[in-house]
Amino acid sequence: MSRRRGRWAWNAVGLTVFVVMFFPVFWMVSTAFKPDAEIDAATPTWFSTSPTLDNFRDAIDPALHPGFWDAFKNSLVIVGATVVLSIGLAFLAAIALAKYRFTGRKLFAVAMIGILMLPAAGLVIPLYVVLARYGLTNQEDPLPRGAITGVVLTFMVFLLPFAIWTLRGFIMGIPRELEEAAMVDGSSRLGAFVRILLPLVAPGLVATSIFVFITAWNEYIFANVILSSQDNHTLTIWLSYFSGTSRNTDWGALMAASTLTAIPVVVFFLLVQRKIAFGLTAGSVKG
Amino acid sequence: MNVRHFVAASLVAVLAVLGVGATGASGGQAADTLTVWLQVDAQSGWPEVVAAANAQFQAANPGWNVDVQYQSWTTHLSKFDATLAGNTAPDVIEMGNTEMTKYMAAGAFQDLSSERASFPNSRTWLAGLAASGRYNGKLYGVPYYAGSRVVTYRKDLFQKAGVKKLPTSLAQYTAIAKKLGAKNKSKAFSPVYIAGTDWYVAMSFVYDFGGQIAVLRNGKWVGTLNQPKALAGLAAFKAFYNAASRASRTTLETRPNPYDVYAKGNAASMLGPAWFSCCVGDKYKAQTAQFVMPSRTKGQPMPGFLGGSDLAVPIGADKAKAAAWIKAFTDNASMTALRAKGNIPNTTSLLGTSVNERAAKRSWFVPTAKHWVNVENGNILRTMLKRILTNQNTIKQAADIASDNIEFTLNQS
Amino acid sequence: MTTQAPDGTAAAELGAIRARRRPFSWSRVLRAAGPYLLLAPVAIVIVAVLGYPLYKLVTLSFQQYGLAELIQHKGTWIGLDNYESVLRDRVFWDTLLRTVIFTVANVALTMVLGSLIGLLLAQVSRWVRVLLSTGLVLVWAMPAVVAVQVFYWMTNFESGVLNYVLSQVGLVEAQHNWYATPFSQLAMVTLLIVWGAIPFVAITVYAGLAQVPRELVEAAQIDGAGPVRIFRDVTFPILRPIIFILTSLSIIWDFAVFTQPYLLIGSGQLDPTNYTMGVYVFIEGYLKSDFGRGAAISMLMVLIVAALSVFYVRRMVRDEGTA
Repeated sequence: MSRRRGRWAWNAVGLTVFVVMFFPVFWMVSTAFKPDAEIDAATPTWFSTSPTLDNFRDAIDPALHPGFWDAFKNSLVIVGATVVLSIGLAFLAAIALAKYRFTGRKLFAVAMIGILMLPAAGLVIPLYVVLARYGLTNQEDPLPRGAITGVVLTFMVFLLPFAIWTLRGFIMGIPRELEEAAMVDGSSRLGAFVRILLPLVAPGLVATSIFVFITAWNEYIFANVILSSQDNHTLTIWLSYFSGTSRNTDWGALMAASTLTAIPVVVFFLLVQRKIAFGLTAGSVKG
Repeated sequence: MNVRHFVAASLVAVLAVLGVGATGASGGQAADTLTVWLQVDAQSGWPEVVAAANAQFQAANPGWNVDVQYQSWTTHLSKFDATLAGNTAPDVIEMGNTEMTKYMAAGAFQDLSSERASFPNSRTWLAGLAASGRYNGKLYGVPYYAGSRVVTYRKDLFQKAGVKKLPTSLAQYTAIAKKLGAKNKSKAFSPVYIAGTDWYVAMSFVYDFGGQIAVLRNGKWVGTLNQPKALAGLAAFKAFYNAASRASRTTLETRPNPYDVYAKGNAASMLGPAWFSCCVGDKYKAQTAQFVMPSRTKGQPMPGFLGGSDLAVPIGADKAKAAAWIKAFTDNASMTALRAKGNIPNTTSLLGTSVNERAAKRSWFVPTAKHWVNVENGNILRTMLKRILTNQNTIKQAADIASDNIEFTLNQS
Repeated sequence: MTTQAPDGTAAAELGAIRARRRPFSWSRVLRAAGPYLLLAPVAIVIVAVLGYPLYKLVTLSFQQYGLAELIQHKGTWIGLDNYESVLRDRVFWDTLLRTVIFTVANVALTMVLGSLIGLLLAQVSRWVRVLLSTGLVLVWAMPAVVAVQVFYWMTNFESGVLNYVLSQVGLVEAQHNWYATPFSQLAMVTLLIVWGAIPFVAITVYAGLAQVPRELVEAAQIDGAGPVRIFRDVTFPILRPIIFILTSLSIIWDFAVFTQPYLLIGSGQLDPTNYTMGVYVFIEGYLKSDFGRGAAISMLMVLIVAALSVFYVRRMVRDEGTA
C-alpha cells in the first residue's frame, strides 16, 4: 500500500516537473493556433478563444514559404544517414576505448574530447573550403550527392566524439558480473562479444541516437553554408527564412512551422524510447 | 554477420561515400549556369520580375541556365565569406547598401566601370543608392531598389485631436503630437512612437539641420556629431522625442516592433519604412495612412534613411554574363514592376508621387567607410542616444564620446 | 590459446593482445589489430574532414587575416600579435571571468536538476514517464532560435506571461524589465540554457539507470541495504562514467555557448558588460571579419576550457571500468 502511495507522490512531482518544463513548448504550440490578432494582443491568453489552422496553412504555403516538403525529405535523409553512420561507427570505437588496452588509447580519447572543445564558428570557413575542394558542396543535378554527403560528413565529424564518449560511458557502466555471466557460454570471438554487449547497452545506444538525431536535426550553421540551393535545404534552414526578410516576421506561421519541424523528432523518440525501459523491466541475464 | 565483416563494410562504406561525393564534379559550377543570390524579399514580393529577367537572359544566351538561390538577410554574408574562401562564389549577389563598402574595400567585387553606360538608366540612378556602389571612383554595385522612411498614422486619432491638415513642418508636427498626447495620457501610449535608440530617426534630424555623422578629410575620417549643426539636430531630436514618444528610452526599434505597438492601439503614429503599413493589424488597417515626415523647413521632407540593395559581381564570375543578367533585371520593365509593389525604383526617371517616393527626395546615407559596420555593431550611436535621452550626459558630452569612438573605429587599418 | 580466464572473453582478448612469445599468425595480428580496426572508420572520417580546417585554424591565429586576405587566399604572418592584442584587451579578461562564473552556474544547475529529473523518471508510473520524457524531448528538439523567441515573449516586460503571473501574485511590479542589467540578462540566458539542457541530462541519466540490473538492486535489498546505500553502492558506480561525461560536455558547451546569449540579449544590447566568450569570439572575430584574431581567441578558448574540464577528463580517461 505504501508503495502505491509512494508512486502517487512521485507521479505528482513528475507531473509538476512536466508542466514547468513543458510550458514554453505549450506556449509555442498554442501560439501556432492563435489568429494574428490574439498573438499581438496586450494581455496573453492561455488558450486561443478562436483557434485557427491558418498559421499552419501559411507555414507550408508554397507561395509564402516554399520548399517545406523538399526540406522535410532532405532533413530525413541527412539526419537518418547521420544517425545510422554515427552510431554504428561510434559504437565500434567506443568498444575499442572501453574494452581494449592499446597504444594510443589515451591519445585517441583525448583527441575526441579535444574536438568537442573546438569552436564551431571558427571552423566553418576552413571546413567549407575543404569540402569545396573535394566537390562536396556541389549542388548540381541530378542527385545533389555532393552537398548532402558533405553535410553528413560534417555532422558526423562533430557528433562522433560525443557519441563515442557517451557510449563509452554506457559500456563502462555495465557491471562486470553481468558481462561475465552473459559470456558463460565461452564465446571468445569479437562478434559474439558484441552480440552480448548489444542488448546490455541498448538503452545507451538509444539515448545517444536521440541526441545525435536532435542535434543533427536542429543543426544550422554548417548546413546553411554548405547547402546553398533551396532544393537542398534542411527543415531547420527552411525555418530560418521565416525571420530572414527585411520585413516583419509572421510569428504565428513561425510557431506553426516550428511545431511541424518538431514532430518527426517526437515520432522518432516515441519509436525508440521503449528500448530505454527495456533494461529495467527485463532481466538482463537469462537463467 | 560478424563484427570484422561489419568493420570492413563500414570502412568501405565511408570510403565509397567520400568517393561518390567527390565525383560529383570537381568544385565549381558547370560552365553554363549563372548563379544569382537574391534575398527572399524578391521571392515573396516580385518573383515574376525575377522570372522575366531569367527568361530574357536565357533567350539572349542560349545554353545558359539561371540558378537563383534565395538568401536570408541574417546569414547571407557569412555564406558569402565561405564561398569567397572556397572559390564557389555566386555570379551575381544582392547586397544591402550598408554592406557594400566593406566588401568593395576588400576587393570582393569586379569593376563594372567599363560597362556603366550600358546599364539601364545609369545616368539617372538615385544618388543615395548609387553612392553605395562606388569605391575609389570605380563602379562595383548596380542600384537595385530602395525604401525610404515615412510616417504611418491613425486618421481617426488625428481627427479626434482636431487635426485638420497634415503637418508640413516639424514645428507643426510637434504641436499635433502634444494635442494627441493630451487626449490620451496613458504611459503606454505614444503620439509618435519612436524607440529611444532608433538612430535612423535621430540621424535624420541631424542631417536635416545640416550636420553629418563623419566626413573624410585628407584620407582620414573625422567624427562630426559634436559640431554645432549636428548638435542642433540632436537637440531637436531630444525635444521632439520628449514631446511625442513615451517609448522606452533605452530600447531598440525592433524590440518591440513599432507596428506591434501600433497594432495594440498604443501609437497614434510611427516613423519607419513604408512597408510598416502591412502589419498594423486588422483593427486599425482601415484608419491607417501615411505622410512624409516634415523637415524643420516648411514644405520639405526630412531627409530619410534610404535603405536599399545593390547588385554586384563577385570576383571569379563571368563578368559579361553577370552584367547581362543585371541589365535584364534592372531594366525599365522590371523597375516599373518593382515600383508597383511599393518599392522605390533605382532611377529618378521613374519616381512617382507615392508617399514613399516623395520622402526619398531628400535622403541621407551612412559614411562609406570600410569599417562602418563596426560602428553599427559596436552600438556607438545607440549608446550615445541612450545617454542623451536618459540625461546621463549632456548632448555635447555624449556627442563628443561618440565622435571619438566613431573616428577611432573608422580609422582602423 | 590460453584457457578461458575466469572473467570472460574480454580478458582473454586482452591476454591475446599482450605480447606473448607465440609463433606469428595472421589471426593473431588481426586480433591485435582489433581496436585499431574498430577505430579506423572514425579516424578516417575525422582526419579527412577536420584535418585541414584544424591546421588552418591554428595557422590563421598567427596571421593577419581579414576579408581582403580571405578573398586573396593569402594572409600575412604576424606571429603572436593576435594573441598579444587579445590578452592585452581588458574586455577579454572581464569576459573570461564572467563566463567562468556563468559556466559554473549553468553546469551546476543543469547537472543537479537534470540528474534529479532522470532519477525521477525511474520512480514514476509508466504513463507519467512517457508523458514527461516526451515533453522533455520536445523541449530538447525545439530549435534554439524559436526557443529564444518564445522565451523572450514570455519574459517581455510589456506583455510577457511571466510578468503577468508574477504580478498577479504580487511578487513583482507589473512591468518589471527582466533585461535591465547585465546580471539579469545573463540570469535569463542561464534560465533558458539550463531549461534546454536538462532533457539531455535527464534522459541520459535515466538510460544509465536503466542499465542497473534489477537483480543487483534486489540482492542488495535482501542484504538489508536502504535506498541511500543502494544508490551509493550499486547505482552510482554505474552512473558515474555517465555523469562525468555529461558534466564535461556541459562545461565544454556552456563555456562557448553563442546562440542563446546572442539572440536573447539581442545584438542591440550586447556590449562588453554582458559578453560571454561565445559572443565575444563571434563579435571580435567574425563580425569584424578579423579571422586571424577570431582564430587566436578560439585557440585560447580551447586551452581554457581544457583547463576547466581537466579534472573530469582525466578521471574519465583513467577510468578502467567499474570497480
